[in-house]
Amino acid sequence: MSSEVDDLVAKIMSELNGNGGTATQAPSTDSGKDDPDLTAQDFPLFKKHPDLVKSPSGKPLKEISFQDIVDGKVDSKELRIAPSTLRMQGKIASEAGRSQIQNNFQRAAELTVVPDDRLLEMYGALRPYRSSKQDLLDIADELENKYHAPICSNWFKEAATNYEKHKKLKGDN
Amino acid sequence: MKRQKRFEKLEKRPVHLDGFVKEWDDEGLVAMHSKNDPAPSLKVENGVITELDGKKREDFDLIDQYIAEYGINIKNAEKANAMSSKSIAKMLIDPNVSRSEVIKVTTALTPAKASDVINQLNFAEMIMAVQKMRPRRTPFTQAHITNTLDNPAEIAADGAEAALRGFPELETTTAVARYAPLNAISLMVGAQAGRPGVITQCSVEEAVELGLGMRGFTAYAETISVYGTDKVFTDGDDTPWSKGFLASCYASRGLKMRFSSGSGSEVLMGYTEGKSMLYLESRCIYITKASGVQGLQNGSVSCIGIPSAVPSGLREVLGENLMCMMMDLECASSNDQTFSHSDIRRTERMLGQFIAGTDYISSGYAGEENSDNTFAGSNMDVLDYDDYESMERDLAVNGGILPITEQQSIKIRNKAAKAIQAVFDGLGLPEITDEEVEAATYGSTSDDMPKRDMTQDIKAAQDLMDRGVTVSDIIKALDDHDLDDTAQAVFKLAQQKICGDYLQTSAIFDKDWNCISAVNDNNDYMGPGTGYRVWEDEDQWNKIKNIPWALDPQKVDF
Amino acid sequence: MSQEIDETLLKNIIRDVLGEMKSADTPISFKGGAVATDGPSQENSVDWFKSTGVAKPGRSKDEVVIAVGPAFATVMTQTIIKQSHKDVLRQLIAGIEEEGLKARVIKVYRTSDVSFISAEADKLSGSGIAIAVQSKGTTIIHQKDQDPLNNLELFPQAPVLTLDTFRAIGKNAAQYAKGMSPSPVPTVNDQMARPRYQALAALMHIKETKQVVVGKPAEEIDVNFN
Repeated sequence: MSSEVDDLVAKIMSELNGNGGTATQAPSTDSGKDDPDLTAQDFPLFKKHPDLVKSPSGKPLKEISFQDIVDGKVDSKELRIAPSTLRMQGKIASEAGRSQIQNNFQRAAELTVVPDDRLLEMYGALRPYRSSKQDLLDIADELENKYHAPICSNWFKEAATNYEKHKKLKGDN
Repeated sequence: MKRQKRFEKLEKRPVHLDGFVKEWDDEGLVAMHSKNDPAPSLKVENGVITELDGKKREDFDLIDQYIAEYGINIKNAEKANAMSSKSIAKMLIDPNVSRSEVIKVTTALTPAKASDVINQLNFAEMIMAVQKMRPRRTPFTQAHITNTLDNPAEIAADGAEAALRGFPELETTTAVARYAPLNAISLMVGAQAGRPGVITQCSVEEAVELGLGMRGFTAYAETISVYGTDKVFTDGDDTPWSKGFLASCYASRGLKMRFSSGSGSEVLMGYTEGKSMLYLESRCIYITKASGVQGLQNGSVSCIGIPSAVPSGLREVLGENLMCMMMDLECASSNDQTFSHSDIRRTERMLGQFIAGTDYISSGYAGEENSDNTFAGSNMDVLDYDDYESMERDLAVNGGILPITEQQSIKIRNKAAKAIQAVFDGLGLPEITDEEVEAATYGSTSDDMPKRDMTQDIKAAQDLMDRGVTVSDIIKALDDHDLDDTAQAVFKLAQQKICGDYLQTSAIFDKDWNCISAVNDNNDYMGPGTGYRVWEDEDQWNKIKNIPWALDPQKVDF
Repeated sequence: MSQEIDETLLKNIIRDVLGEMKSADTPISFKGGAVATDGPSQENSVDWFKSTGVAKPGRSKDEVVIAVGPAFATVMTQTIIKQSHKDVLRQLIAGIEEEGLKARVIKVYRTSDVSFISAEADKLSGSGIAIAVQSKGTTIIHQKDQDPLNNLELFPQAPVLTLDTFRAIGKNAAQYAKGMSPSPVPTVNDQMARPRYQALAALMHIKETKQVVVGKPAEEIDVNFN
């Protein structure tokens, strides 16, 4: 299965890129199909459903203790939101009538596995006059294939088309 | 000319130092409506918007394209836009129509239509509409915490005092950009020492700011600017797609964020296309909505000198706050920048937002003396605290700032200054001396502070970033110095970022880390006897009532 | 800030700026979101400030590039507080030379935004350090490889920038170019600058922005103070 290989590659790459030594949950096994059915009444998760909230490596929220941090037993990358949590918050937002927020959180869920430095570079690539059309399409490929981020991949494709039409590509200024 | 004596006196009044300019449509120096604004129009074909405010899809600019794609609730769009602007405006102030019913209509309007709706309202009606349309039931406000020397002990002390006074959000920036990590850390530590649950930000260049958040030095961001014309957006070094992506980057790290925009920015940056400030701001609000960002800081913000110089300018500013709320977005309603030399006009500036209540009445009340405010000064500062609190008490309005005693202030400032002293020690940063702690405890401005070696601080700031210091190191440093409750508060903040509750619309934390947002504290105003009333919020009202300088009539010695 | 500003003078500037702009005003084209303009005003020929052709990247490590906005010296002649552009440049250059480095002046046409002026200039600077100055006086010190909207030092409030400040800015820029870490030029904060000057700042910036020529490369400027 090539997707498992890709997952492994993505995981190793993200660790090499300084994403901590902790295992980041592989995206393909965290597709959201097992997400609970939530409504606005389930908010806030911290008080009402702490059991559903996990660290990026899958550790329950309440098991990350103060003492473990002080003792240096928790990688700081564990103090981050997991894709499943973002999808739950997206569901809550949508149930409260804010579907655009859900879209944003779905993109965000995909981006949790992209290492910090690479994420900042991707953002930089979308700024005006920074990238050729091909540069943007290459990142779209990377998002699709390396990070299993189809929504964000489309975002870059859409940007490439619109930047070409409205002259925001490298050299257009 | 022989001078008329009264006119001579009038000219010496502070208001005459303010800038006033006559309207000029073709350069966008017009507040509510320009002759060049498009007439509202909308065509939907097969679920796709093919015409928007007078432009065909093939003529869309980058912003039109983005808004048409993501910003308008297409399902209700044709029906909503067919309604008269006057009838929609009436819904906004009709207490019998609930907020959620209004939102169904307003989130389906086009930008030009929404502008036309705002144009129907006078200032008093806008106040009524804001009271109903702000997303969170309970109003709050926000403070700036800065000083011109970027002194860390003073930032921590001012942050702690502001936290104790009731600001749930604090914002810093730098006098010298390279100080950013130190200021971010100083404010976070000071705020948690002051009142657990207060969230903090550090406004700097977009990529740097995100980097600070990733390390856990900040909890939210708000100066993610968007603009109303393509050219100005480009000069802001972004596009709608890059800003939308940046929004998702923040959420992916569990960081709350809102965009920032405001009337006058396009005038200041030279490309208005001859459109009114309100119409251009409507486009910013729709870009925010389209990006799936939960909120917006708007109300001219740092460009307030532009709308306030033209007729109906401050009506426009409240109008754009209202439009933000009509799109169901959290609104941090500005009132955050110096605007006038006249105390009367300064009060006028905040009147609408103050009386109606917004999610954050000010998105930067100066939590230091204005001379130390490196956002170039706010509309009100720490020396206005007692006037502001008197106004809350006089009008029985919750303006989000509470009176404290001098003793409380001294105690909390000292606690925060000691906490940041410990953190600097633990992280191996240049020492904060006991003398500095003392000065931060009892001082009021950076003139009261001993001078630090800024070159050393800047080097240390860079070194700290290179070493990969994160929030875990801060927690450890506080714990090592036995500052347990502050260490716990910083830890709990880190925990909340894993949970993401505060990514929801208009979210803040109370002192027990309860997340209060438009999801669980939604505005239910429907006329007298409903919605938020400060006298029903007993704890808050008692504090506002009991300003320390009021006489107790039963204990007066004659 | 203790500097007294003559109100009458200020009013006259506003009137002048408005007057000049009114005469240059033409109907707007709404096609493609173009800005209202009939193109830039004619640049005046100035004896002390002459273009010598397209600016080339510098190779010398001991130069600091000073980049000015498209209206500087040739369309407008003074900053928002009536410092002459000539004096501003004279002080910046003196500050750089005080540190034993060379100053090279260029004029940027592609943008009127101070950050982007500096981002174009630092790529042409042999040391990678550039100072950018708008006609209204807003100034920035920028280093190659920083994001455009980042900076080494930014002086956003043009009304508080005195000639002494400009000299100090030149000096600091030169020190950055030498790899030193100077103490930043002290930030002067006049919280009343906005209410007093913001509308005027907008008018001056509109005027400068009209001089922007998309795609036009920066030009080398020969400066002569004699």
